[in-house]
Amino acid sequence: MVIDFNTAAILAMVCWTIGSLLDLLSRKSAALKLPAFLIAFGGTMVMVAYIAIYWSFLGRPPLRTLGETRLWYAALIPLAGFLVEYRWKISWLKYYCMALAGFFLVINLLHPEVFDKTLMPALQSPWFIPHVVVYLVGYVLLAASSVAALHNVSLQLRSKKNDAGETAAHYLALLGFVLLTFGLIFGALWAKEAWGHYWTWDPKETWAFLSWLAYLGYLHAFRYKIDRGKLQWYLALSFIVLLVCWFGVNYLPSAQNSVHTYTQS
Amino acid sequence: MVVVRRRWFQAPWEFREAFLVTAMVIVAGFFVEYLGAGGGIPLLHLPVNAIALVIFALMVLGAGLAFRNSAVVQWLGGIPLGLALIFAIAVLSLIGGIVPQGDAVAGSLSAMLRINQIFSSWPFFLTVLFFLANLGLGLSWKLFPFSMKNLQFILFHAGFWLALSCGIFGSTDLQRFVVPIEIGKANNLGYSMNSDTPQQLPFSIFLQNFSLEEYPPQLLLYDPQNDKLLVERSQAIIQVRKGVTASWKGVEVEVVDYLSYALRGSDGEPQAADRKAGMPFAKVRISSGGAPFEAWISTGSPMLKPEAADLGGILLIMVPGSPKSFNSAVSIQGENGEQKTATLGVNQPLSFSGWKLYQMGYDEKMGKWSQLSLIEVIRDPWLPAVYLGLFMIMAGNILFFWNGIKHSEVA
Repeated sequence: MVIDFNTAAILAMVCWTIGSLLDLLSRKSAALKLPAFLIAFGGTMVMVAYIAIYWSFLGRPPLRTLGETRLWYAALIPLAGFLVEYRWKISWLKYYCMALAGFFLVINLLHPEVFDKTLMPALQSPWFIPHVVVYLVGYVLLAASSVAALHNVSLQLRSKKNDAGETAAHYLALLGFVLLTFGLIFGALWAKEAWGHYWTWDPKETWAFLSWLAYLGYLHAFRYKIDRGKLQWYLALSFIVLLVCWFGVNYLPSAQNSVHTYTQS
Repeated sequence: MVVVRRRWFQAPWEFREAFLVTAMVIVAGFFVEYLGAGGGIPLLHLPVNAIALVIFALMVLGAGLAFRNSAVVQWLGGIPLGLALIFAIAVLSLIGGIVPQGDAVAGSLSAMLRINQIFSSWPFFLTVLFFLANLGLGLSWKLFPFSMKNLQFILFHAGFWLALSCGIFGSTDLQRFVVPIEIGKANNLGYSMNSDTPQQLPFSIFLQNFSLEEYPPQLLLYDPQNDKLLVERSQAIIQVRKGVTASWKGVEVEVVDYLSYALRGSDGEPQAADRKAGMPFAKVRISSGGAPFEAWISTGSPMLKPEAADLGGILLIMVPGSPKSFNSAVSIQGENGEQKTATLGVNQPLSFSGWKLYQMGYDEKMGKWSQLSLIEVIRDPWLPAVYLGLFMIMAGNILFFWNGIKHSEVA
């Protein structure tokens, strides 16, 4: 391979660190704003390029193991942060996003995986990429929403109000919910083709449904004009359900026969 | 928000009443379940379940339109009750997501309350029924009078109503059987987990051929004395091919030659053979301390023992790769003469007069030499209604996404 994982991961994290520091300095001198963005964005592009190279090396999309999905999060979460800055002029979210992406890369650095080119027949489907990618982007947006909500909660505890932050957390949750819905339905349509039925209450399905219900509840509570400040707590905590769905299901007693328990090797 | 001190059940009802009533529904459900010794909801089949669902839908719609000014009906179709019911469904699903679903000790509390099969239990069914009533009432108010600006709401909520109700009410009409067939034979009997007697199917399946393709094999170190693999599976050489090298704990291995399908010839040297009989052979050069040497190793087959290289008590072995694809060439003959010939594969089901046929499995002990194919046949008459619901949800979602982007400016 042209570039190995360790080099790419360290290069990306260096770019994010320098970009973030420059961005903090740019509050004093505006001329640093653009280089700061370009360097931080460059870090993300390193990960995007690495995924593309890794994909062509494996000859299958690198979406099979948890380690492989972490590569995608590492690339996409900072993008969500940049997007929020562009859309809502909120600059702090991207620091959290880059830190979270760095955290995922560190996990992968500590647990290196062997290149495994095999892909079991059930995963060889045109639904594989849309199902997983829609979920990845959905999780990314909801992670960003949860981080934003946590930030808002910490501001509240210091008796500060942050309307822009609450708006961002809300719309990130809304968009994340839409993608969660698509992921769930794509999964059902795929399951019908591969396993014969669209819904079997497989533990991963059950937890995906639970996460979906959590955000469905949020949107209705928001619609009912429940105090937005309180809902920041809800958004911050909803992500825990999502984390169980994403990582935790493998360890639950109910999951012994799940088709979603990713092989760790 | 202004805090209004409101007594229990003083109008207008809101969250307290919603959560209380929802809790009562769940308790009542568990009570009914216990009385029935964990037998679950009655299994109504077509057309009875469809008629029941239509009557229920008309009742909800009628109540919504006739009593839309009644405070109780407004509460029944309102967001507070909806949230309480979403929460209740989440809690019941949480039980189903943690407690292993399936068999439980007969007579145990778990079986009596059907916690081991929560999704076909009375508490789950009653909660869903209440939820459908809540959703249906809310929907009736947006449907009449119709307005384009409610389109997103209608698509999402009506789609969810349709998919959920048809999924639950129609689950009893789902038929799925496994049909085992040997190459060169036909079978028209389906077997299911719930019954010992096979079910006669309205068609018979003839298996012309079964074929399985594997990924390249893997190399591993094995200690026969202790029956232990010396290399973690994750560090194995995956995908053996010519030129691959590995080094583990002072052992250097190089694959000098590789044949995917081979048999030993009369001179003892492996020679390429046809796909049906041959097995993978690899010539490896090994150096572990002493002088390097070369050896042929193979994965073996059901007919021939695997061959390993001896490294002084430790064996270098080659294990077959995981299945890449497996297919059954079948021809199907229906009761009234229709016929179809096709190749089934995983993710490539086949439709035949209302049934769908799936490549399910094979004789795993025999691997690619399997003479047996397991075909699963499934019939789900409610599928079109569920799919219509799912597509409506997706259409509503696209509008939701679009509006979300459009209105997402900071206020």
